[in-house]
Amino acid sequence: MDEDYSAGSVDADREMTRLWRTWRTVFEMLLDRGYEVTEEEVQMPLAVFKRNYSDPLGYPDRNKMKVSARPTEAMQAKYTPLPSKSNPDPQPDCGTIYVEFCPDATGVGTKQVRTFNHFVDENNFHTGIFITQTPISPSAVRLLSSMPGRICEHFQEQDLLVNITRHELVPKHVLLSPDEKARLLERYRLKESQLPRIQVSDPVARYLGLRRGQVVKIIRKSETAGRYASYRWVI
Amino acid sequence: MSSGRPLLKTSLPSMHAASAAAGPSNPAANRPTPPFPHGSQQQPGSFPNRPDADPRHLAIALHHAHQIQAQKDTEGLILDRILQLITLPSSPSADPASPSPDDARTFKSALVPFQPADYDNLILERNIEGLCGYGLCPREHRKEDARGTYRITWGAKGSGPGGRGREMSIVPKEKLEMWCSNECAERAMYIRVQLAAEPVWERRADDARGKHLILLEEGRAKEGKSSAQNSVSIRDVVGQFGSMHMDESQCPSDMADDIARLTVHDDARSRELAMERGDAHPALATGRMSIQVQENSHTHGLVMAPQLRPGDEKGGSIEGYLPHEK
Repeated sequence: MDEDYSAGSVDADREMTRLWRTWRTVFEMLLDRGYEVTEEEVQMPLAVFKRNYSDPLGYPDRNKMKVSARPTEAMQAKYTPLPSKSNPDPQPDCGTIYVEFCPDATGVGTKQVRTFNHFVDENNFHTGIFITQTPISPSAVRLLSSMPGRICEHFQEQDLLVNITRHELVPKHVLLSPDEKARLLERYRLKESQLPRIQVSDPVARYLGLRRGQVVKIIRKSETAGRYASYRWVI
Repeated sequence: MSSGRPLLKTSLPSMHAASAAAGPSNPAANRPTPPFPHGSQQQPGSFPNRPDADPRHLAIALHHAHQIQAQKDTEGLILDRILQLITLPSSPSADPASPSPDDARTFKSALVPFQPADYDNLILERNIEGLCGYGLCPREHRKEDARGTYRITWGAKGSGPGGRGREMSIVPKEKLEMWCSNECAERAMYIRVQLAAEPVWERRADDARGKHLILLEEGRAKEGKSSAQNSVSIRDVVGQFGSMHMDESQCPSDMADDIARLTVHDDARSRELAMERGDAHPALATGRMSIQVQENSHTHGLVMAPQLRPGDEKGGSIEGYLPHEK
């Protein structure tokens, strides 16, 4: 079976490999965010990926590449807001995630995004991730982010070619639960607005799918102190 | 937030004074009502758990929140309009040169809140759909198979430098591929220059810019009419100046007449020029602030020339210090 592909064009092979790397990063991202993905899904070898997701010509078939994953218990706990008087029994603000690769090679506009939004809405996914090969138009971005009650994110395939959080210069980012956040603020007697900040559009924040108002703990290596933790408020 | 703390971070002492004095003699009580109509409708009665909330701060916060919400709503509206305009024209056989009145009206009214950048987004969206960038054209946009990022276009005969040859321009391929033809490009750009550059939430109600859009064909028709009417424009008079040198016999009073009729402030032309330059609306010529100059009253009496005091002949004192003599 593998011989067929090598007989095919080098071009198809290269595209397949690139897409495989993106695919793996997507699963690592889901794992890091706290969704239920299995070890073999994350570690899928290239040969298996080629077998599963290529068309007869050896080119990737993006229509097959759709993923959905449920959040783990730990993630649900992290996304449950603290109980308050008006809301004594809060529900976790996270749910099933859906990832779709857009098959169109050029010109992704509102049409494709509308279809994607519709699909996410119809199947009642909490979060949707739309992955395209090219940049999408400004109105499409606005349409994607304007879904009421749902979170839709967009990535380009080349953004996910390498997993940026595995780079040695990128410190470890850990999302704090509302409880941990409250304790942190109490411990240092701070208001959240007094914390250093991180933008939602920060690459790592986008990778982790952080939302406005959350606090992320950043653990750096320090020559003098061994490890150094700092906290940032997502804005 | 603990009680008695300032709610707003500001360096203005008057702001702090309102919230810092949380005692029984709260000056917020006898403060004039907040100048924002939005906020004053929702008095802090809606926050029973926060009795110390200053109504003034609440009003400011609500005012800003309403503004941001209005901006978001407008952005949503523009997005809806873009989605609506992608589907124009209603019939696939429509002629962009003479669009159906319904389509033209929809097109023009939908474009009113647009900024030029939004209009560019519309063109981009239409191109992604495979359509010509001009909103009233049902044809497909050009697709050139040949490679290369730039194209050379030639103008009409006699458009070159000095009226000879053809004008040549180098155009990026994407720019050419936006449209189905040069005519449509012209029509679309004719609309674009009429759009107001400032976002709709900053426009003034009496601002006519960008409200009355005209299509290229309508503009042309109007131009034809206005040129037919009898008005002396600068060009006509300058032409007569030129002929004057040849023809000295012309009566000087005729000349004087023409010059009298020549007005530097040619209304139609200056408006055209202002449009081309994108000058600000005349309503804003005085600025957004109304400036009122108030002269100080002269409290001092007559100003006298300085008089010589004792010791001044030796240089006098330097800020009270008298140099010692050697």
